[in-house]
This record gives sequence, structure tokens and C-alpha cells, in this order.
Amino acid sequence: MTTTTPERVAAPSTVRVRGHNRYAGLGVMVRFILRRNWLRMLIWLVVLAGMVPVVIDSQRELFPTQAARDAYASVANTPAIAALTGLPYAAGTLGGILNIKLWMTVAVALAFAVIFLVTRNGRAEEESGRTELLRAGVLGRHAYSLANWLVSCGFAAVVGLACAAAAMSQKLPTAGALLMGASFVGVALVFVGVAAVAGQLTRTSRGANTLASVVLAVAYLIRAGADVGAEHGRANWATWLSPIGWAQQTRSYGENLWWPLLLCVAATLVLCGIALAIERRRDLGAGIIPEQVGPRAASALVRTQIGLSLRLQRGSIIGWALGIIVFALFFGGVATAMADLLSADNPIAQAFTGRSKNVLDGLLGYFTMANALLVAAFVLQSADTIRSEESDGRAELQWASAVSRVRWAATRMVIPAVASFLLLALSGAAIGATFGTAVGDRSQTARFMWASLAYWPSMLLVVGVVMLCAATLPRAAATVTWALYGVAVILSMFGDLFGLPDWVSQNTPFTAVPRVGTDFTATPLVVITVLAVIAAWVGLVVLRRRDLTSA
Amino acid sequence: MTTSLAVDVHGLDKSFGRARALDGLNLQVGTGTVAGFLGPNGAGKSTTIRILLGLLRADGGHATLLGGDPWRDAVELHRRIAYVAGDVTLWPSLTGGQAIDILGALRGDHDRKRVETYLARFDLDPTKKARSYSKGNRQKVALVAAFASRAELLFLDEPTNGLDPLMEGVFTDCVKEARDEGRSVLLSSHIFAEVEKLCDTVTIIRDGRTVESGTLSELRHLRRSTVSVTLDGEPGRLAAIEGVHDLVTDGPRATFTVDSAALPNVLAALAPLAPRELVSSPPSLEELFLRHYGVHADAGAARS
Repeated sequence: MTTTTPERVAAPSTVRVRGHNRYAGLGVMVRFILRRNWLRMLIWLVVLAGMVPVVIDSQRELFPTQAARDAYASVANTPAIAALTGLPYAAGTLGGILNIKLWMTVAVALAFAVIFLVTRNGRAEEESGRTELLRAGVLGRHAYSLANWLVSCGFAAVVGLACAAAAMSQKLPTAGALLMGASFVGVALVFVGVAAVAGQLTRTSRGANTLASVVLAVAYLIRAGADVGAEHGRANWATWLSPIGWAQQTRSYGENLWWPLLLCVAATLVLCGIALAIERRRDLGAGIIPEQVGPRAASALVRTQIGLSLRLQRGSIIGWALGIIVFALFFGGVATAMADLLSADNPIAQAFTGRSKNVLDGLLGYFTMANALLVAAFVLQSADTIRSEESDGRAELQWASAVSRVRWAATRMVIPAVASFLLLALSGAAIGATFGTAVGDRSQTARFMWASLAYWPSMLLVVGVVMLCAATLPRAAATVTWALYGVAVILSMFGDLFGLPDWVSQNTPFTAVPRVGTDFTATPLVVITVLAVIAAWVGLVVLRRRDLTSA
Repeated sequence: MTTSLAVDVHGLDKSFGRARALDGLNLQVGTGTVAGFLGPNGAGKSTTIRILLGLLRADGGHATLLGGDPWRDAVELHRRIAYVAGDVTLWPSLTGGQAIDILGALRGDHDRKRVETYLARFDLDPTKKARSYSKGNRQKVALVAAFASRAELLFLDEPTNGLDPLMEGVFTDCVKEARDEGRSVLLSSHIFAEVEKLCDTVTIIRDGRTVESGTLSELRHLRRSTVSVTLDGEPGRLAAIEGVHDLVTDGPRATFTVDSAALPNVLAALAPLAPRELVSSPPSLEELFLRHYGVHADAGAARS
């Protein structure tokens, strides 16, 4: 038998080493990242830039005359506004009002967007081993990272431009609109740098996102402190320690200062330089901050079904609880100030305040419902673990053990049910406490706690529907439940604005609950509870009968 | 059958939509034995094991597990069963040690001492978060949990995926010990050497159907041995000997296969040719397996 010699594909040749080609393949990587992320970026762009004309429109309706805007400007400088959205500059102009209402939201959201984007195409790729595959090819050491940062910066610039264009289309002054857009970009650029460094320091994508988000939170808090500690309408010196502060000090639509943005650009360059220096020195896949070790054995609590669920959701429950209570305190604090501003015959005010007897009660009822919707988002996320444990493949191990599916799923329903009761009680009490402080009435705490707890049956319904969807539509469950939640939020918050018939807008799982300031009736609560029980029961029965369905 | 069966499956059917995963599959695992379960990807090995675990529901056929029904009696049976999946998924935020304890607690036979023993044997650091484990280490977590349990039946679905050769050795010892403790093992695998070394019986499946099952020697008996010889003369002459098949020559060396029954005659005919070297090997499991999948056995021979 003859053996065939395979044809030589590549003759050995002297490999030509080209100097320091650490950036070879940069263009390919830029296209690669765009290819993988264009939809994600497009959605961020549409949502962020899309809010600009909507808010301008609504504010123009709320404050139609210069007199109305001046009146607003005289009361806009409250500690709550300074802390949450920043010290108002040029509050007497539509652009200034836009900044008060929207600037912080867009700036922080865009910062989060670039943090997630940089991590997704940086540390997450490296963690999954895909970077290794690429770097084994003809790719310079820094090409992927640099491409990642360039794309993220480009994305930020496009969002900034789109926001500016949206503002100009609403006839806001060009200089102010452009500077507003540029200030968004300024914040985002710094956080591209922060995320770049975080991605070099940590070993996991989770760690990178957490580290960068903590830096963002610190920047926000320093800025808040500086704005609350303002003197003569000017933030104190501490604002210069925060990149958010720098961008805010551009004071668009007012003094229109461009130079603070130089700080943003300089910080970005320094941070990216640091990230490059670390990348040059470290091994692929390694980080600088060592990975934490954990306990060697599971505690007696974690070994129980309920304890395991609690442990897995610990971080999420704490995070949601903090966020919800902060919002509740804010709702209670601004209610009186807002009620003074809203005239009873303003159509938008009427839509929000619903059927209550006066504007203040209506507003508080609206806030209490909004708070309940926020708690419902937590409930949804927590109950969704019934499905995610299965789709991620972990249910297989548990179901192959001596625990019945019904008990397994029921345990995972108990957590959101109990946690939402506590969250509703706490956040209701928080709304009542801050509102009570403002009006000097301590009995408000208990009143709002009960008003908030009236939404508990709605939370049970969310749990029941998640159970039902997880059992009957396993692959689509997460999408369907979040879509249903989105519809419920829109109907609850804005249902009256769409001119829907009353029997629709007043009979959703959240609007059917009696609001503060309206007469209490138990019927809707009973109906919602019964529906919740039916949904959960059907879900459990189906789950017991069906096949394990992985992703 | 005289011995009792830990697993007894007859004519198992299962379809996913239009795709037929199992088509009348038969499988037996004797109590206290190690049964090998061989088949290419997609043959239905994992589907079978998932049905036996009550995770999937069979469309037809009979399956008995430790005397119970795998679907109806799932929870009770699972106290006596341990399972290692081919691709173990753990909770990223918990450590390996915590995951092992949780799995033990779910079964209700958690034994800290045994866990520590197997942690040491598999050389696994239980203080690391599952997020940072490699595939092999995640596999070790499930293996430690399974071996440390007192389950009387072990389902191991391609369990050595991602383990290094050293750990494969530890795994082999652990399976042997499990059998010595009187436990039964169903071992699905791609690694022929592993199955040959460990298994008392072997079931080979293809497209959801059992194509061959029995003890290894029973299976071997049905197949040809491979003979390699080095001759002084022209090895082409071998072709004339009755009973020689699949002759491949390379210079003075020749390789061919012989039916077990014809081996004495062939050896007698070879003697006058004065072979300088002669090696006869029984059919390997790999050859048995490849024959069932239409890949000619000499493809394997030509490689060496």
C-alpha cells in the first residue's frame, strides 16, 4: 500500500516581525464589534434621544408661558431636585427645564450603556475565551480593546448628536442644544475610560460591571453632595471631583461653558492610557484584583430550598429594596411641591390624578401606584428564576434530586410573595413618612403603608402569571412576562392619556386597586387574589406534567 | 435473567416534535454492575438518562428503576440515585463546596466526611466560586457530590469530559469502588478505553435503537481479531489463505482480520511463511463500535 503525502499547504518561511504592531487588525475588530452590537446600540440611541422631544413637548404644555416658567424657576431649587437631578441652571428657560427633568437620566443611562458595552466586548469576551481565539490569529495585543473603546466613544458621540438634534428640532437654542449633547458625550467618555480600567483590573465581566458601576454611583453621590451644599446657586468645590459634575458645570442653555468638557476628554485619555499599560503587562485572562474565595461548605440555611433561593437572590433583593425605598422617600418628599404646581384643570394633571378628590391625594395615589409597579418589577425578576434556573441548566441537577417539582417551584414563589409584602409595607411607610414630615402629620406613615399593601394581591398575580408562563410557554416565558408587565405599566401610568374606555383603563391589575384618596372597596383585591391562585395552581399542575425544557 | 436489575428498559420511545430521539430502546443494568452505554452524539444516550431521571416523560415503552416507575416515583427514587451530567451547570455565585452540600442536602444523605475524602481525591478547591471553575472543575463538583452520596444507582453521562488523564484515573478507581460497595452504575461514554476497563456489560445504541448489548467477551466473540505479521517474503501471498480478510500490506508488513473460528487454520497456514513477528489482538470496543456506524475498521488500523 502506498501512503500519500499530504500536499504542503504552507512552506516554512522566515516570519517577518513588523516592529511593534500592537494594533494590527484594528479595522477588522471595529467592524466585528459593530456587527455584534449594532442593534443594542440602536435601541439605546432611540430610547435616549427619543425621550428628548417627548419631555420638551410635555414641559412646553405644562409651562406654556414665560410667566409660568419664571414661576417654576422660583420654586425649582429644592434640596430634593438638587440631590436627584442636580442644581437647576437657567430654570426659567425651556432648555433649563429640560435639563432639570432629563439631563441626569440621560447622562447616567448613557454612562451605564457604555459601561455595559465596554465590558461586553472586553472582559466578557476574554472571560468566555473568545478573545483567546482571536488573539491567536493575526491580531495585535491592544487592537480588540482599542476597537472596543473607539466604538463605545463613537456610540456616545452619536447619541449626544442625536439628543442635540432632537432638541434643535424642538426649536431650542442651537448653542445650548449642542452643548447639552456634548455634555452627555463628556460623561460617557469618562465612563468608557472607567470601564476600560475596570475590565483590566477584574477577572470576570460581573466584577468589571460592578466596579465601574460603583465608580458611577460614587461620582453621582459626590455631585449630589456638592449640589446640596451649594452656596449662592453655585455647587460647591466638590463638584469638580466628579465627572458628572464637570459635565453639569457646562450649564447648557445658560452660560454655555465648553471648557469643563476638556476635563472629561483628559480623564478619558488618562484612563485609557492606564488600561493600555495594564494590558501590556498582564497575561491574557488574568486580572489584577484577586478573585474572592467563598465558604468551603454550605450553611444549614443554604442547604434548605428556601435558604438557597434567598442566598441566590440576596444581592438582588438588597439592591431592589434600597432603590425602591430611595424612590419612595423621593415620591413623598416632592408630592406637596408638585401639587402646588399642578392646577386642577390641567389635562395632564387630571390624567395622572385619576378619580381622587383633590390634586394632592391624586398625586400621592399615583406615586403609590408607581411605587407598586416598581415593586412588581422586582417580583417579576425574582419569580422569573423559576424559568431561568431551568433554561440555564441548573434545574436538571435539582430535579434529579429528591425534591418534587411542585415543592421546588412553590419555594421559588414564596420569596417574591413575602419580599414584596415587606417592600410594599416599607416603601409605603417611607412615602407616608416623608409626606407626613412635609405636612406635619405623623399618621400619614400608617395610612400610606396600608394603601401600598393594597397592591399585594397584584404582586401575587404577577407571581402566578410568571408561574403559569414558565410552565406552559417555557421558551417564551421571560419575553411574555416582561411584555405583559410593560403593557401593565403603560396602561396604569398613561392609560387615561390614550383615551381608552374606562372599563379597560380602570380594570388592569394595578388600576383596579383602590387608590389613596378614593373610597376603599375590597372586591378588586379578592378578584385579583383568586386569579393569582388559579394561575399559580394551573402553572404547578402543568409543570409537574411536562418535560424538562432547556433553553 | 437470574440477577436482579437496577434498570430495566424495554421498547422506550420518545419524540421531540417530529424528531424521533428514541425508537424502541432496550437497556439493562444489573444490580451491582457497571453498564457501559455507547453511541455517537445524538444517538439518544442523554435522552434515555433524562427519562430514567423523570425529567422527560417517555412516549411509549416500559422503564423500571430500582423497582419503581421513573416518572411517577421520581422523588422517592431520587433519594437512591445520583446523577452527573455531561455538562454541569452550577450557581455562579456559590462556591463548589456549597453546591456539593446543597446537592447532598437535596438528596438527604449528606455526609461531610465522605465529601472531604472525595474533594481531596479529585483535588478540588471547594472555596472557589463556580463562576471561576473550568469545565473540568465543574465536572469534579458533580462527581464529588455523586460519589460522596450513598446512592445505590449512579447515572454518569459522559462524566470524564474535561478531566485530565490523572483525574480520569481517580475516576476509574472511584467507579470500581462504587461497584465494590454494591452500587450499580450506568456509564455513558465516548471513551472506549474507559468502558473496556470499567464495564461489565455494554449497550451500543444508534438512532435511538439498541444495536448491540451483552458482556464485552460476548460481543468480542462475534467479531474478527486483527493480526499483524512481518514476513521475509512477499506478503501478497497471504491473500490466498482462506479466512484472511481486509488485507493491507506495507513493505514486509501485513495486517488483516480473521474470524475467531478460522484463527487456528490461518495460523497453521502462516507458519510455513516463517513470520518474523506476529501480533494478534482481539477486536477492540472501538472496532465493534465503528462497525456499527459504517466506518471500516481498517481506517483505524491504517492510522497506526
